[in-house]
Amino acid sequence: MTGGGEGGRGGRGESLAAALGEIVGARHVRTALPERITYARDGLPTHRRVPGVVVLPGSRDEVVAVVRLLAALGVPFVPRGAGTGLSGGALANDDAVLMVLTRLNRILAIDPRNRIAVVEPGVVNVRLSAAAAPHGLYYSPDPSSQTACTIGGNVAENAGGPHCLKYGVTATHVLGLEVVLADGQVVELGSPGGEPWGPDLVGLFVGSEGNFGIATRIRVRLLPVPRAIRTLLADFSALRTAGEAVSAVIASGIVPAALEMMDQSCINAVEDSVYAAGYPRDAAAVLLVELDGCREEAVAADADTIAGILRAHGARDVLSAADAKQRERLWQGRKKAFGAMGRLSRDLVVQDAVVPRSSLPDVLEAIGRIAAAYGLTVSNVFHAGDGNLHPNISFDGRVPGLKARVDQASGEIMAVCIAAGGTITGEHGIGLDKLRYMPLIFDGDALAAMRAVRLVFDPLERVNPGKVVPVHACREWSGVRSAQWGVRSAADRDRSSNSALRIPHSAFES
Amino acid sequence: MTDRGGFEGLDSCVHCGFCLQACPTFLATGDESDSPRGRIELMRALETGELAPADPGVALHLDRCLGCRGCEPVCPSGVSYGRGLEAARALLTARRGVPPLVRAALGALTGADVSRVVYALARLVRATGIPSRLAGWGRIRFALGMLAATKPVRNAEFGMRNRSSRVNSAFRTPHSAFTPVTLFRGCVMEGLFSHVHDATIRTLQVNGYAVREVPAQVCCGALHAHAGLRDEARRLARTNVAAFGDDDTPIVVNSAGCGAMLKEYGHLVDVPGDGARFAARVRDVSELLAERGPRPGAPLDVTVAYDPPCHLLHAQRIAEPPERMLRAIPVLRVISMPDAAQCCGSAGLFTLVEPAMSRAVLAPKLASLAEARPQVVATGNPGCLMQLGAGLSAAGVPAAVRHPVELLDESYRAAGYYA
Amino acid sequence: MSLVDRVRALLGDDAVDVATTPDGVPRVAPGSPDAVALLLGTAREEGWRVRVEGAGTWLPADAPADLALTTRRLDKVPAIEPQDLSATAEAGIGCDLLRQQLADGGTWLALDPPGLAGRTLGSVVATATAGPLRQGFGAVRDHLLGVTFVTGDGRLVQSGGRVMKNVAGYDLTKLAAGGFGAFGVIVLVHLRLRALPRADQTLVLEGSREDLAQVAEDIAAAAVQPAAHELMSPALARRERWMLAVRFAGSAALVSAEEAALRAASGGRFTALRADEAHALWMRAAESFATRPVTFRVGGLPDSSDELMDLLQHQVGDEWISASPGIGAIRWGGETTVDRLRRLRRTLAGLEVPLTLERAPWPVRAAVGHFGAYREGVGPLVAGLRRTFDPGDALVVAVEGTE
Repeated sequence: MTGGGEGGRGGRGESLAAALGEIVGARHVRTALPERITYARDGLPTHRRVPGVVVLPGSRDEVVAVVRLLAALGVPFVPRGAGTGLSGGALANDDAVLMVLTRLNRILAIDPRNRIAVVEPGVVNVRLSAAAAPHGLYYSPDPSSQTACTIGGNVAENAGGPHCLKYGVTATHVLGLEVVLADGQVVELGSPGGEPWGPDLVGLFVGSEGNFGIATRIRVRLLPVPRAIRTLLADFSALRTAGEAVSAVIASGIVPAALEMMDQSCINAVEDSVYAAGYPRDAAAVLLVELDGCREEAVAADADTIAGILRAHGARDVLSAADAKQRERLWQGRKKAFGAMGRLSRDLVVQDAVVPRSSLPDVLEAIGRIAAAYGLTVSNVFHAGDGNLHPNISFDGRVPGLKARVDQASGEIMAVCIAAGGTITGEHGIGLDKLRYMPLIFDGDALAAMRAVRLVFDPLERVNPGKVVPVHACREWSGVRSAQWGVRSAADRDRSSNSALRIPHSAFES
Repeated sequence: MTDRGGFEGLDSCVHCGFCLQACPTFLATGDESDSPRGRIELMRALETGELAPADPGVALHLDRCLGCRGCEPVCPSGVSYGRGLEAARALLTARRGVPPLVRAALGALTGADVSRVVYALARLVRATGIPSRLAGWGRIRFALGMLAATKPVRNAEFGMRNRSSRVNSAFRTPHSAFTPVTLFRGCVMEGLFSHVHDATIRTLQVNGYAVREVPAQVCCGALHAHAGLRDEARRLARTNVAAFGDDDTPIVVNSAGCGAMLKEYGHLVDVPGDGARFAARVRDVSELLAERGPRPGAPLDVTVAYDPPCHLLHAQRIAEPPERMLRAIPVLRVISMPDAAQCCGSAGLFTLVEPAMSRAVLAPKLASLAEARPQVVATGNPGCLMQLGAGLSAAGVPAAVRHPVELLDESYRAAGYYA
Repeated sequence: MSLVDRVRALLGDDAVDVATTPDGVPRVAPGSPDAVALLLGTAREEGWRVRVEGAGTWLPADAPADLALTTRRLDKVPAIEPQDLSATAEAGIGCDLLRQQLADGGTWLALDPPGLAGRTLGSVVATATAGPLRQGFGAVRDHLLGVTFVTGDGRLVQSGGRVMKNVAGYDLTKLAAGGFGAFGVIVLVHLRLRALPRADQTLVLEGSREDLAQVAEDIAAAAVQPAAHELMSPALARRERWMLAVRFAGSAALVSAEEAALRAASGGRFTALRADEAHALWMRAAESFATRPVTFRVGGLPDSSDELMDLLQHQVGDEWISASPGIGAIRWGGETTVDRLRRLRRTLAGLEVPLTLERAPWPVRAAVGHFGAYREGVGPLVAGLRRTFDPGDALVVAVEGTE
């Protein structure tokens, strides 16, 4: 365990806590070790960092004051929403302050005419849609944790969700941001209507995992609630067939609102839980396909076409949700699947790779082979329409040597996805967890460019330090360069990959 | 009981955080330490010894848990939070003892002899009408409001004069067809809500149940278990198991808190078989009534907000039956409240020992009730009846609090089911 | 050694063309991304100032520079994946050629940028100029899966990738899209495609601007979801009066359902165009902006579109306007002065509406800047990013004006 005594920073910690208390009120500063321990993990339990101090500001002004205080003292800090992230991104070390934004949870404005909402970062995703519902509007990005996660966290991670297939990820829906930079300066990015004001700094900020500052006001686009919806559940007797059916749906030209896949292990975990949705337990995989739109007849016609494609590509059965209640049940099962993994085993590693959709059948088979070779249970539940895989490895961390095996298998799965032309994260972010994979997909120049951009926003790298960019793998950005500057030869690339594989970093820390 | 005392129920937590928004205290503070997931971290650390019960903040945040178990039904992994909490509280109590206020309250409310005197006095005070006039915020005035909320509502309010309590023979089921059940009387229910027991007996009779009294029964032990007094809870459980005998007659309960506890006896009593058999017999009154329909009564022209008690909805997972009871009353309108499933902040002794958090948890519910303006707020648990009643009085919301069984009873009386 | 000789030595004889530029600036056409990197690395060391050109049909090739770098030899399309609905193309490919190749595979890039058909992909991405289809399919950035660009000091930086979702690292693609080349030269683009629509129908309605604005509002209120929903000035539409053009693209069922909804919402007043008429309408509208000296875009709230068009009419005239009132985007073309543009930008800034200068002769660009009148605190960030990606100030781009 990390984390020392009271306040983490000894005497200095106490005076820091007192100063923070002056700003936010003493009861919103947490210094006791047990309290800090409750913040030591996010939604990915494999990483554990005990923050030095936890502070819960209640307003934008308090955030600014806290950031200015920390800037004056040179103390690093980490913003955190609900802590449902899946990359260890919202964890702070013992020498840092964890800034929890759950109390900034007001919906500041809903403008139905322009279909825009302005929210504070701590607003829970699903609550915005609930508030917009009376106007016939909703907030489209729907990460599976939407009943708990905050929009601020969604912005930091550029969160996705099943319905991003048709409507786009968080970045598509964020129009403007008020951000507090590392030095306490407040900057407005973007414009009220969403047109970038200058370079697209809003687009750059979304997904920066807290490294560029804290978003204190978020202006998002709302969409009209679809008037027509069809939800299909297709079950397959082989994973490969299901993967092929995905490609066929995509190639059809009809863009489903969502296209999700769950394999048998996942189906059973869900069916054992309170969110049992009536998925067929004997299926090797199910696809959950949703079509929506404003025109009943068009959606119905598209649904028939898709159902036909699914049958033609090996679906044993295609069920169409009879009513809103059944649709809700089918979706709840999917969305709570990650949580239900706890039923399979005590510990869980979640991956988040993306591959070209046409390679899904091969990649799924390869994952199955790796699981078998390592004797591990891998459950797949993922956004098939986007090619965004979530292989979950369930294991019991108390078994000696098992963690190392899981770690190796994770690495191999990732390598397979990268080899297929994929990437290492589609929506969970890099955080701590995927730092080690960054050099596998980015060369030293790309990593150095990222770091250089971060330095523009946060010159001392005090906001969420140690995340996203593996500093040791960056090529030097200014000054002397290697003789091969600018030229990325195959040999160069191999070198960076090899060095990445040698990084002595594991997914496990506790 | 297992060797880990209930902590094993926490093993399946994968930290997904889906419980956060179901937790009334997290909603009040936004602090992970006041959330189910944060408390599970604390409990796990207590079990492993990483944290000690005396460490600062441990007791604070575990004490601030309402025990409403609103986190359990939303948990995809099926974490047994309540069981883990009792294990953790047992550890805390073993270390620090029981706080004097809790000890005093337990004695006054559940102590065999003391409580009889306390309840008699309370009824006397209640009869003066003073508590309802003085009800308000602040510890004492809120407590008076709670007492006032236990007062039976006079039938005149619904235009009824018939005070008979015998079921009219014309509406009776033939004696041979009666299903025998036994009534669990409890302590607060018996002391302050005997009119609800009467209504329970009558409505069950109308629906074909014959209620048998069981002497020698005692307090269910829920308040003791919540306070970490496992041994006392176990002792009470043993007494009750013995008192109710070894047959399969259903044990009917009209207090959600007691019902949830009695259903846990399988995990509490030393001879698990005995406890489990006992637990299997326990039925909430709404379950039994719903099984028979229940039989429709006469119209009541009243608007009701149903507030499901946590220990009914979350702990016992009983959602539908109480609503079926209300639907058996023609004309009566049930309005749905968006945050109905959330705890009212009563939580046994919580309202007494953690008044600030308790009121913070109650506040959003009062706000939406003030907006919806029902004539009656119905809920099937004594603590909730008192908490909501006191809160409504203090907030100046003119709504009565009643057990759903009372409403059905009124409806039956209006229908002429009682001689 | 002269500059041209240095470049010849670096990239080969055929990479340099000294004769063709009107202002006599030597023009270099590197044949690969690595060659671009090599060239810009040298430029940084030598202190050369470089302007970047595509097909030369959008931004005029008139910036003062030591060297013109054209992307015209970066015209390969390494991958089109109909199964994945993605493609990878080099930045110098003309949009018309790319469109043809995509269509051969049954795929479609749902962008209809202003300008001539042969505009390069790199130009569209760098200037983030989306056309009427932005209503239904979003801004340029929404079509990008990743880009590779060469910084002002010759580093080849890849961002994003070729998969549908990607949050690995910071999203530098967003900087490249709409950065007007200030942060580097885009050399390779990974695109998100759509299936070529089975049905594609355009309907038009003529009338006064006020009348059409009302119709546009009715359409939005009826939740009609067109691919494009464009209000065009008479000159642009080549009609007597203003025109509201509505386009639906997708499955046959969707298009006919939407068309019916449009007719219901508008009292059946729209006229359907034949495919060739529709093609001509959209093509002309796009090309018209390449025939005026100055083009800019403003982006406000949808319900302020009318007010903004009044303002434009008042300050710079409204002869050439194309607006998507559903999303508050307006493009203006025409002739105007530096002073008028500056004043307009200031006025708009007061309304919290940004003005982005898309196209103008160098003296206007240099004076006005593509961007300006930033909100507080943004200027230093932009300057910092410029220094980061172009430390030697090698790339000649009028990011901000001289005011």
